[in-house]
Amino acid sequence: MAIVIPKTIYNGKVKEIKLGSDMQAVSVGGENCFPFYLFEGAMPHKPVIAMEVWDSGTEDWPVAALEPFKDVISDPAAWANKCISEYGAEMICLQLVSTDPNGMNRGATEAAALAKKVADAINVPLIVWGTANIEKDTEVLRAVAEACQGKNIILGPLEEKDFKKIGAAAIGYHQTVIASSPIDINLAKQLNILMGNLGIPENALLMDPTVSSIGYGIEYCYSVMERIRAAGLTQSDDKLQYPLICNISKETWKAKEAKVTEQEDPLMGDAKKRGILLEAMSALILALAGGNILVMRHPEAIKLIKGILDELYVPSK
Amino acid sequence: MILIGENLNIMSKTLGPALKERQSAAVQEMAMAQNAVDVDYIDLNIGPARKSGEEFMAWTVQTVQAVTAKPLSLDSTNLTAVEAGLKVCKSKALINSISLQPDRIETGLPLVNKYNADMIGLLWGVEGMPRDANERCMLAVDLVYKANAAGITNEKIWIDPIATPVSGEINQLKACFEFMTMLSDIAPGCKSVVGLSNVSNGTPVDLRPYLNRTFLVMLSRYGLYSAIVDAFDQELIDIARGRRPEITQLIHNLMDGNSPDPKSLSPEAMKYYKTVRVLTGESLYSHSWLDI
Repeated sequence: MAIVIPKTIYNGKVKEIKLGSDMQAVSVGGENCFPFYLFEGAMPHKPVIAMEVWDSGTEDWPVAALEPFKDVISDPAAWANKCISEYGAEMICLQLVSTDPNGMNRGATEAAALAKKVADAINVPLIVWGTANIEKDTEVLRAVAEACQGKNIILGPLEEKDFKKIGAAAIGYHQTVIASSPIDINLAKQLNILMGNLGIPENALLMDPTVSSIGYGIEYCYSVMERIRAAGLTQSDDKLQYPLICNISKETWKAKEAKVTEQEDPLMGDAKKRGILLEAMSALILALAGGNILVMRHPEAIKLIKGILDELYVPSK
Repeated sequence: MILIGENLNIMSKTLGPALKERQSAAVQEMAMAQNAVDVDYIDLNIGPARKSGEEFMAWTVQTVQAVTAKPLSLDSTNLTAVEAGLKVCKSKALINSISLQPDRIETGLPLVNKYNADMIGLLWGVEGMPRDANERCMLAVDLVYKANAAGITNEKIWIDPIATPVSGEINQLKACFEFMTMLSDIAPGCKSVVGLSNVSNGTPVDLRPYLNRTFLVMLSRYGLYSAIVDAFDQELIDIARGRRPEITQLIHNLMDGNSPDPKSLSPEAMKYYKTVRVLTGESLYSHSWLDI
């Protein structure tokens, strides 16, 4: 008797979303099967890598993370272009660390001008990430939305408490938004429903499930992402069919396991290798859980991930 | 269906302080309000009552039974406090609850025959909450075995399979349903009870009744004997008493896979339709489940 391989029955599809302006467009999502289940369905796009650019705060980075960007660290636009031309970044994620009210507390106008400068300088889509401070993000991301009109940039994080004001600006200036929820599938769905009620178009919404590094609860992220995909793909839950973005590298590089030097703890081994592997493996886990956009930092980690994703991304005959 | 009113509760924002300050007027007002509605028992939930629990439960029982003859459910994890309540309780009481943690079961079981009470057997084990239907079965067997060994007959045991919020892990609710289908086989003669409102914990307050009512009908289809409920949800009581057969029938049909055409349903029926879908896990719960 011939063996019949059981197949998952799918009745949903992740929305395929075009990011960036026409000049810089990158598409994500569109899969109608579990991540890399190419023997069961189609996955039109591999997960894409967005490289991080910070507008300040890099003095806390481990040496290994800083090294590739030393020459451009004080010029975000140059930094972004180095990521694109030398390291193959498919998108750029500008982290507006300087706006943190508990830190430099840079104003919204200045932050918006910087975001525009970077958006104008690059030929890939731009993600602009705030500090997850409700009041400040409302101010900053609204200004960024206005300044970057026409670029279809991606703004985040939008949370339950600030999505209305930031979302309204995003609608007005035709930008894409990131709905961010605290590792909870029910709250993720709820926020997406509210985004829809607000008027965010279906093709202008990404989901941030909130992610963490290996060793810091990534299992929970995996599980929630897996359930989001299961609901969207096998229960045709159209509120959970948005592409997932994972802002992972800033989580891995702030972990003790990436920061401690070999001199401080010889048993931990080579710090550079350690940090790169922690980033790459954390990102891989999230890609396997359904992540469509991986925000990453180190060129070596990205090289590793791209190699693995290429091997996984072989449509079955 | 035996209904136990849940509203005399230390967790309540108004009753909590009244209980703690032993304000008999406020407590009696609540007892009388529940006396006036169609519930069978009144639950007296004094919480963990670590300090002066004995005096607290005895006072609560006496205060309440001065204004109502309804039987009482004595609700505390402090079983010494529960015993103090049993000593002064005039009607046949329900001990709420005895779980499988060794100290609870050792202290709790002797009270049942000593005071001719019934007991809620909470399926909470040494390792905490059961993870699935099988673990619920194991705990139920263990609990009934120990109760029988203490001379307690199955008729006195009300098994609580533990209902969890729909906004949490949906597989827990599925396990609760599945366990209910097996209970009569593994513990013949035992009764059953759930803290119904748990299912809607975390849900916006005005929407909670839809979950509670639907959940009640679903569980009663699986033979549920009793539920601890919001005594002031008149619609829930009407449903439990068989006065809303069209709602009950709709829920049964959905459980049997005989889904009506949603377009044919009234807006009110549509709410129950959507609620069944989230409780069975067919549709993932969100706070806006009734709107989408």
